[in-house]
Formats: sequence, C-alpha cells, structure tokens
Amino acid sequence: MTDEHNIISFRGVTVRYGRVTALQDVSFQIPCGSSTAILGANGAGKSTLLRAVMGWQRLNAGEIRIGDEHPQHARPRLAYVPQRHSVDWDFPITVRGVVEQGRYPALRLFHGLSPGDRGRVEAAMEELGIANLADRQIRMLSGGQQQRVFLARAVAQGGDIFLLDEPFAGLDLFGSEELTHILKAWVEQGRTVLAAVHDLGVARSCFARGVLLKTTLVAAGPIEEVLSPANIDVAYRGGHCVHKDHVHGGGQP
Amino acid sequence: MSLHDALVAPFAYEFMGRALLSAVLLGVSGGLIGCILVLRRLALMGDALSHSLLPGVAAAWYFFGTSTTALFFGGLAAGLLTALGSALLSRMTRVKEDAAFGSLFIVFFGAGVALVSKLPTRINLTDFLFGNVLGVNRGELQLAAAVCVLTVAVFVVFYRSVLLETFDPVFHRATGGRGGLVHMGFLALTVLNLVAAMQTMGVVLALGLFLLPAVSAYLWCDRFMTMLLLSVAIAVVNCAVGILVSFHAGLASGASIVLCLGVVFILSAVFSPRHGALGALRLSSGRRPQP
Repeated sequence: MTDEHNIISFRGVTVRYGRVTALQDVSFQIPCGSSTAILGANGAGKSTLLRAVMGWQRLNAGEIRIGDEHPQHARPRLAYVPQRHSVDWDFPITVRGVVEQGRYPALRLFHGLSPGDRGRVEAAMEELGIANLADRQIRMLSGGQQQRVFLARAVAQGGDIFLLDEPFAGLDLFGSEELTHILKAWVEQGRTVLAAVHDLGVARSCFARGVLLKTTLVAAGPIEEVLSPANIDVAYRGGHCVHKDHVHGGGQP
Repeated sequence: MSLHDALVAPFAYEFMGRALLSAVLLGVSGGLIGCILVLRRLALMGDALSHSLLPGVAAAWYFFGTSTTALFFGGLAAGLLTALGSALLSRMTRVKEDAAFGSLFIVFFGAGVALVSKLPTRINLTDFLFGNVLGVNRGELQLAAAVCVLTVAVFVVFYRSVLLETFDPVFHRATGGRGGLVHMGFLALTVLNLVAAMQTMGVVLALGLFLLPAVSAYLWCDRFMTMLLLSVAIAVVNCAVGILVSFHAGLASGASIVLCLGVVFILSAVFSPRHGALGALRLSSGRRPQP
C-alpha cells in the first residue's frame, strides 16, 4: 500500500473540535525530499494539519503515515519549528542554550549532553551561520537570526522531515530571502520540508509543491497547478460560509 | 548593640531558630517556583491562588484546630479547587481564564475572611493574612523541609522539561513532552509551597517570597540556570535578614521579609546594567534590535 517515494501520506483525515470541523476527509501524498507549502485562508486547517503530522492531534477518521509508521513512532525523524512569536525572546537563555534543546528528546533522565550531542549542536549552529552568536542572549538578535536559531535547533534534532509553522511571518525582505535560500539548500540535501505559509508569492518562489486547504482539500500537487486562479478563488474568495460548497476533489460522496 | 547582639543572639531563642530555618527552606523552594511564575507570566495568577487558600485553612482550623496536617490539606484543597474551578469556568463558559480566576479567588478570599471572623477569638486574622513567625511549630518546620526537598528534587530531575515547558511549550509538545502534566504538576507544587509558606508569610504576603527574588534575578541574568541560583540566593539571604529585622523592629515577619526583598527588587530594577531603568536610559535607542 505505501509508496516508497512518498514520505507522508494522508488518507481521509478528518479532525473535529467539538462541533467545528477543522479538516474534512483530506487525502494527499508528499514525496520524499520535496518542499511543500500548506496553504489556505485563516481557519482552513493549516495548523491542525501540522499538529496531525506531529502526532499530537487526535483524528476523528482516516490515517496518517510517516514512511510506514504512525506519526508518534516516527517522532525521531520529525523536526519542528514553531512560530517565532510563540516564545518570549527576553527569556534568560543563549543561542547555544536554545539549539541544545534540539537534543533534549534524545537524552535520558539524569544524563547530560554527551560530546556527540555537543558536536551536533555546534554543527547545527555552523550550518545556520550563527556559531559566532552562540553566547548571545536571544533578544540581541535580528528577526532573521532568531529564525535561524529555531532552524538550528530543528537541525540539531537530527530528523529528515522539517515541519515549519508560518516561518516567513514577520521576516523582512532580507530575512525572507535568507530563509528561502536555507530551505532550498535543505531540499537539495534530501531533506523534506513542510511549511504552513499564508503568502502566496512566497509559496510560489520558495516551494515546489503545495497543499491548498479549505477544511477539505482544494488541491495538492506542483505549486503552479495548485495555485491556479480557479483554486485560489475556491480557497480564498468562496465567501466565509464554512466548507461543503462547490469544492472539487476532497473525496466527498 | 553589638554585632553579636544584632545578628547572632536572637537565634538563641528556640522560636527564632525555627523561624530562620523555616524561612530559609521556603526561600530555596520559593526562589525556584518564582522563576517559573515570572517567566511564564503567571505572577498575578499566583497571587490570586495564594489568597484563595484562606477559607481552606480557616475551615481546617475550625474543625481540627492547629494540626499542621489539617491546615495543609485544607489549604491544598482550597487552592486546587480555585485552579480547577477557574480552568473549568473558562472552558465551559464565555468567561476568560484571568477573569474566572480573579472572580473565584475573591469569592474564596471573602469566604475565608468570614470564616476567620467566626473562629474563637484567640486566633488573630492578621496572623492568617500576614504571618506570625512566633507561631512556627515543629510540624510546620517539617512541612517546610518536605516541600523544599520535593521542590528541589523536581527541579533537579525534570530540569530540562521545566526549561522547555517554560520557554517553548509548543516545541516541548512537538518533541513528545507531556506539557499538560508538567503544567499541572507545577501548579500543584506552587500550591504546596504557598501552604507551607503561610505560617511565616501569611496568605497575602506569601507570594512576595516567590516573586520578588525571581523578578530581581530576572533583571540580572541571561541564563536560566543562573537565574534560578541567583533567585534562591536572594530569597535565602533576605529571609534571614527579614527575620532579624522582624525581631528587632517588632514587625510582622512576612512584612519585613517582603520589604527586604522589595529593596533588592527596586535596586535591581534601577541599577541592573543591561535590563534596568538606568541601563535603558543610557542606551536609550538602538542596541536592542526589535524582532
């Protein structure tokens, strides 16, 4: 059943919060080593989809596979980058302190960071070009540098699937270009990138593929096809009445 | 008065020795708890929580007398009821969590004051509210020691979970951390510490012992571990000084400890070179890039 070229597959995934449906019967595949933008208006289910991939969102129906596994068993392969404004940058912690957190899940109780862990932390900071900032408190960084701290922490986790929640939010032009460059380099290295994105221009320039949501799946595939005028119209201009209008696909009977 | 008379002689009294020991123990665990309250912006919630202990303690006193165990469980029940009640209120009604907490704690506090006024006259309301160091008995000292050991152990064993849950709960969750469990455990630990601190500090002032050292340390430190250690050091030193001031000046112990801590806090807020008011004036613009 599983396709070895697809690293993430959704089959008929439905998520409800009480009476509100966040995702309705969503099915699509993500090829290994691709970059995919998750798109859709506010409340279309982007964050719910990311949480579902992480394995901490209970599904009301359907299933998700990472490779051959349930998301909870695939956790070592997953590296997560939260929204930058979700943390307090005044927190008393240095750049190295944040990047070290990427190793925490791999540590056992009462064991500190091993020399191997420290090596990965340093390598991750080198890769993202923040090794020279290692001992800075994190408020003393530009927006782009703060984003790279989060990316370095994800790299230090050692996974090959990167999940990013609105990574471009609040970045200036330079920061966005820098991030685009980093994500493209990751994909060239064979890493898989999945990111919630709200800016369609960024999605076109930075991602090869797209998943367009409006509670149901509007379209999935190469980004230019996904972002056709007709699909955008359905996903963004179809009024504010919730799902179940003339959505094509989505697998509803 | 010689130095010996001022600093050492008071502790020849047994109650002073007990008071000092209990305050120092509470300073250690309160300094740790306070850091999390400050960093997670739970300072006001902690304040509400401490007030809400009063009816539980008063009821325990009414039914079981001065038994430390009864007081402990009474306070614990009232604190957990407030925390749980406001969590339920905010989930099941339109009321947001801060308003739910604010409303519930003031009702609890009112009920507590009413209960205390009905207690036998020899018990003084001010002791409940502001603490009475003379009243620290052996049982309460044991309670303070147990709570201190438990708190330190939790911070040592779960240091990384505590740090992650405080700094970035979303990432903690994403990496398989039990965020909800850590949060509930932390609230329970806070209530434990508040109950233990009540005899020395009183319900109104107990939170000062937690918050003031932490917020002072926050103004000096750029590393989590350093902040924890400095916060504990500030708490312990000022508890000792506060007890002495209380003895010599005849002040309520809770008040004098809070005042000593308050001096440290205000000095920190003004003079901390990087994060204090003077530092901000000196740098006035630039240096701190906005995200």
